[in-house]
Amino acid sequence: MKNNKNIITAILVFTLVATGIYSCSDEYLDETDNYNIDSQGYFNSEDDYYMALVGVYDLLQASYVNVLLGEIASDNTLCGGESATDVVGFQQIDDMGHTPVNSNLRDVWSWMFSGISRANYFLEFKDKTDFEGRNKMIAEVRFLRAYYHFELVKWFGGLPIKDYDAALLGSGKRFAPGDELSIARYSAQEVYALIESDLVFAVNNLDYNAPQVGRVTKGAAEALLGKAYLYQDKFSEAATVLDNVINNGPYQLATSYETMFENEGENNVESVFEVQYTDAEGAGFGCLQCSEGNVAVGFNGIRNHTGPTYDSGYSFNVPTQETVDSFEDGDSRKEVSVLDIEAWAEQTGATYGLGYEHTGYYNRKYIPRQGDQNIGDQNLTNPNNYRSIRFADVLLMAAEANNRGSIDDAKAQSYLNMVRSRAFGGDSNNVSASGSELTDAIYHERHVELVGEGHRFFDLVRTGQAPSEIDGFQAGKHELFPIPIQEIQFSNGNWNQNPNY
Amino acid sequence: MKKVFFTLLLSFAFVFNATAQNVSVNGTVKSSVDGLPLIGVNIIVKNTSSGAVSDFDGNFTISNVQSGATLVFTYVGFETLELPVSSEMNVELVEDKESLDEVVLIGYGSKSRKDLTGSVSIVGSETIEKLRPVDVSQALQGTTTGVSVSTQSGSPGSGFRFLIRGVSSNTDNDPLLVVDGYIVSSFNSLNPDDIESLTVLKDAQAAIYGVEGANGVILVTTKKGKKNSAPTVSYNTYAGIQETTKKLSLLNASEYAALVNESYANNGQALPYDNIAGPAYGTNWQDKLFDQALMTNHNVSLSGGTDNVTYYLGATRLDQDGIIASDKSNYVRDNIKLNLGIDVNDRLKSTLNLNYFSNKRKTINESGLGSVLFNAISYSPMFALDQEDVNGIFGNEIINPFSQIRDTYNTYFGSSIEGNFQLEYKLRDDLTVTSRMGFKTYSDKSKSFSPIVNYGAGKVFNTSRSTVSQSKSQFDSYTWDTFATYKKSFAEKHNMEATVGTTVIKNWGNGLFATGFDVPNNSWEFADIALTTGTSDAKENGSYIYDNRLLSYFGRLQYDFKGKYLFSAMIRRDGSSAFAKDNRIDYFKSVTAGWKISDENFLKDNEVIDFLKIRGSYGTLGNLVGNDLYRSALSGEATYVFDGALTNGVANGPIANAAAKWETAEKLDIGVDAKFFGNKLEIVADYFLEDRVDLLIPGLPVSGILGTTAPGSGSPTVNAGTTRSEGLEFMINYSDNITDDLSYNVSYNVTKIEGTVIDVNAEVPLTGGSFGVGQPLPPSRMENGQPIGYFYGLQTDGIFQTQADVDAHPSQEGLGYGAVPGDIRYVDVNGDGEINSDDRTFIGKPLADYYMGFNFSVNYKSFDLSMYAFAEVGKDMVRNYERDQPNVNRLDYYLERWTGPGTSNSVPRATTGASTNKLFSDFYVEDASFVRIQNIQLGYSLPKETLEDFGLSKVRLYASVNNAFTFTEYKGFDPAATTGQALGGGIDSGFYPTVRQYILGLNISF
Repeated sequence: MKNNKNIITAILVFTLVATGIYSCSDEYLDETDNYNIDSQGYFNSEDDYYMALVGVYDLLQASYVNVLLGEIASDNTLCGGESATDVVGFQQIDDMGHTPVNSNLRDVWSWMFSGISRANYFLEFKDKTDFEGRNKMIAEVRFLRAYYHFELVKWFGGLPIKDYDAALLGSGKRFAPGDELSIARYSAQEVYALIESDLVFAVNNLDYNAPQVGRVTKGAAEALLGKAYLYQDKFSEAATVLDNVINNGPYQLATSYETMFENEGENNVESVFEVQYTDAEGAGFGCLQCSEGNVAVGFNGIRNHTGPTYDSGYSFNVPTQETVDSFEDGDSRKEVSVLDIEAWAEQTGATYGLGYEHTGYYNRKYIPRQGDQNIGDQNLTNPNNYRSIRFADVLLMAAEANNRGSIDDAKAQSYLNMVRSRAFGGDSNNVSASGSELTDAIYHERHVELVGEGHRFFDLVRTGQAPSEIDGFQAGKHELFPIPIQEIQFSNGNWNQNPNY
Repeated sequence: MKKVFFTLLLSFAFVFNATAQNVSVNGTVKSSVDGLPLIGVNIIVKNTSSGAVSDFDGNFTISNVQSGATLVFTYVGFETLELPVSSEMNVELVEDKESLDEVVLIGYGSKSRKDLTGSVSIVGSETIEKLRPVDVSQALQGTTTGVSVSTQSGSPGSGFRFLIRGVSSNTDNDPLLVVDGYIVSSFNSLNPDDIESLTVLKDAQAAIYGVEGANGVILVTTKKGKKNSAPTVSYNTYAGIQETTKKLSLLNASEYAALVNESYANNGQALPYDNIAGPAYGTNWQDKLFDQALMTNHNVSLSGGTDNVTYYLGATRLDQDGIIASDKSNYVRDNIKLNLGIDVNDRLKSTLNLNYFSNKRKTINESGLGSVLFNAISYSPMFALDQEDVNGIFGNEIINPFSQIRDTYNTYFGSSIEGNFQLEYKLRDDLTVTSRMGFKTYSDKSKSFSPIVNYGAGKVFNTSRSTVSQSKSQFDSYTWDTFATYKKSFAEKHNMEATVGTTVIKNWGNGLFATGFDVPNNSWEFADIALTTGTSDAKENGSYIYDNRLLSYFGRLQYDFKGKYLFSAMIRRDGSSAFAKDNRIDYFKSVTAGWKISDENFLKDNEVIDFLKIRGSYGTLGNLVGNDLYRSALSGEATYVFDGALTNGVANGPIANAAAKWETAEKLDIGVDAKFFGNKLEIVADYFLEDRVDLLIPGLPVSGILGTTAPGSGSPTVNAGTTRSEGLEFMINYSDNITDDLSYNVSYNVTKIEGTVIDVNAEVPLTGGSFGVGQPLPPSRMENGQPIGYFYGLQTDGIFQTQADVDAHPSQEGLGYGAVPGDIRYVDVNGDGEINSDDRTFIGKPLADYYMGFNFSVNYKSFDLSMYAFAEVGKDMVRNYERDQPNVNRLDYYLERWTGPGTSNSVPRATTGASTNKLFSDFYVEDASFVRIQNIQLGYSLPKETLEDFGLSKVRLYASVNNAFTFTEYKGFDPAATTGQALGGGIDSGFYPTVRQYILGLNISF
């Protein structure tokens, strides 16, 4: 009896164990829960495309470094900051002592290429799902790809491009690990050819009105295209497309230069393309490219300011006396562009601190204003939009193209004077020169109209004035910035460093 | 009176039983080991039921014993003795070495200690009780070879990390933790008072744990009741005062003012302090910040058992305040434990272990830039206690530490129930089947509040909108094991044990977090999302969910020949859900062997050598890291602004690696266990060699063209490296009695480890860690042929004393600025005539060469004294807690700075200007070798006679000091602290110091 009971129990337990062992098969490992969207299976609806489009725009906000350094590298401003060791990369560029070991140049390289990567991700799947308005979105993405490439070619010259021939036709492909060993740097000319191809498509497929404020318009594409032509000294192409914007676009000079750079002046009638920022989200130094605020504004801010109107900042990018002196008497832009902190303190009783290389002046267009939400870190979350392309800039570029290309000096003069009469509040300071005198006048006007907006260094380089205007500038070397040393090492001999670095 | 009666009786017996020949036996039973009387020895007249039990003096008397009968003496732990009866018997019993053996857990089974073939260390409950650790992990510090325990912070409730045989992996070096057979993720829910023993499996012996065993396995056995023992109640309590073990040596007010003035002057700027004459005055921030804090612990337990049931019930509460701002930094932990063992019948045994744990914690900002201590060591000694830095003279990141504490509000509460239920069924005498289900469910919630504050213009801590952030999360897991063990002996020579089984593990969990804005009245009392009135446009809420599974099959065969020649082999098949289908399954195998030389005839009766065994093991194990690396998900961050409002989109997350798989370890170990001189001297020595292949390297530096710096993106994690750890472990232990009243025990252990990188599959050496603020070149490296995570920087060679010195040396312009007298002179390592970043070289390493532990204990009558110490020798740390800012306070080594030719050759000039002195060089690398006296304890136990009067079985009073002294040259707070990372470890950005505890305690049992 007991034996039977034992045997039965034995069989029972064995069965239990056996079923236990065999019931768990490897499928058990497949059932895991997860809330993740697989990137290769996306783009199934218009909504999906829109969401990816937002991702492509995101990296525009990281271009604050380009703006900041475009000023510091030029004769407009000194680096500033807290001390001589505050952001070493900036300090060295100010003194024209920068080397391939520079984390800020590496940021410019990496962040702009990240934008290109996101644009190419979109373009990889551009044919997957059809919907009305797809071409418009593709046009926006190609504009953005051109924008990022334009920044990179200005800074570094020739660049690697994936599947170049297909890209010229509008396709896109992200770089894969290992491409840095095999894809060579295309020449600056070839990069510009891609930029032109992308922008021409954008011009042909976009309207002057965008569905949302902040999105790319036909006018933005035309203006950027004109700028790209101008940088290559392709004057007649530049003149043609820029004249088109001026004649057919909905843009005008804003009547008040005063409010141009204030909150109420954002996205106004003069704004052709504006990088949008907001103060609604926090940010930290761990990921500056993630910030939704304009980091450059906090960096430019007045050191330890207590007083009306302005908030504090890190006192970088401080204008020199030379810059202030280059404004003519009666030029209303001087008060708007440069803040004389000593006069301000006297006038309002405000107090301020002394930063490194204190000049007594601040870049008033892009310093923090009071009244924003100041969500931590408040120095990184200022909402000031960056006016990337203003109508005034378009007018001056058109003037330069028409003048230097010997196309139409009279037209050039009239464009120039439109800008001047706004600045001086009347026609009494209009220019009547022509030929090379007019060229100089245009150059001067660009200097004072666009001070603080990040264009000065590249204007000086492309017009050959850099060696004479910028201290320490070595011709044949400093026209381009060095490719970051880590990139040269990754390419393992595939990419050559820019000359003389 | 009694004696007279008995003598009379005896004489009558003699008279009346002359023919029967019965005798009365008197005698004493003593132990042959120490000659002390044995109490409670069973003495039986063989084949009868009459007998006696020895009394307190070892005496016994049996009457009416037939002459010619045999007396049988039996006693636990001693060999049974049979002797022919005689009237006077003074007997000595011999110790039974077999049954005194420790039984050790080896994973899905146990083995007697003498028969182990792997490298195993054990820490018993006596050591744990002596050390009285707050966290179980501390009991392993210095007590076991090959194990190093480190903490990232000394604040209450902060956890510990273990490293078994060095750092090998870049992702995860934590060993597998198993409690009573089920796997836990950390020891923080365990109460040290409930632990019976800790077993550490260091080599391929742990291969039965397969993919989870590469970093070693720590097995914990909790206390259980004993069969047939009366219920015992224990109450243990202690209370202690805690203080900091270290305060940094900073400048006082007048030294500070003089230094700051000099640094401004050296850069041609105006002096900030006009009047520094007069005696040193000012605020010593560390003195004001560090308090003495209280900690208390109460533990009650009840244990006992009957024939079939054993039970253990324990409850403990620990309450620990922090030494900084104890009202904002403290920790309370509660544990309730129940262990129940029921023998249902003689074939079926069941066990139930349950542990309830809850903890409540408040913290302050602890380490690195922005922490309370960092502010305290940087703030000027010339500022008053409540003075704010309104003018921002310390930059944007330093504020008054007391204000920071005042505005810190947070709370954390977590609780869990974990346990396991086990059934063990003896199918036949040689076949047992065990099945057990371990589970854990842990839930926690936290809240932190940031009020509206303004500490001065531009401070990063300023908040203009109050927020309260809350989170709730849940972690669940279960481990289901079923295995069968078959034990058989053949021909009395061959002994075999086979184990076969399966394990299924599932870990899953979820979390939810949200932030609300605009807290009413800007006050902590109203800080809850329910009461907040504002929102933000940004996405402030989030959640996560995860689900990981592991399915394994394993088998083990153990064989020994006459108990002398031992052999075992194991294999395990693991499948994990963390990897792509093609890379999910792997097999792990190992073999171990041993030879008990002392059982051989030529050593069997050796006077000197009591036990000698050599053993070896080899096998492969895995490290389960790298979850979901194969998925290319749209987990990136895509946010822009359209129509003035934040708009969220999608973007790619980190680049995927479809070929990712787990890391594998190949381990070899050869060891010797020996005991001499009557088991007084014990020596254990091991040589080990471990290769880690397919190391997962996260954040492998890749070209920027891949777009990995986009928000939310990152470089792929690739199996790209191999490291090797090689070393020796040696442990020696001596215990002896000098007299009956005096006994002592001395033990020393040392581990030597060398960890090098054998191969890294990357185009540039892997770098990590960070030094200073805004410095582009990282300080730590993983490079072929070098120690793991070594420091890579410039080498110094004194200070330039004169301009002639500067001119005679290669130019340092390549570093960014030229040198002037008073600057550090760097060595031209590559000899190219220029000093630049190519001259960086090896300047130190974070892992120690030697880990040592030392302890001794002495027992004299009712007193006991013990001391535990541990040391790490040959490690370096990087001094990275100094803020590079003109007005902050400094360490007092700046008093030795260069002020003119010949004034100093070690510390450069003080200046606010730019110089190359702040670049990472060996000036910032310090030798962090140390010896720490971890515990000194003196105890007094009331003698047994006194106790009996009160019905108590044990009363012990003790006083102890934890972390009494630390001997080191390291200038920072704690040379033992580290983040534990492979790349980037050993960099001190400001660690919260360890606490010294003065404790008074009481143990009572009845």
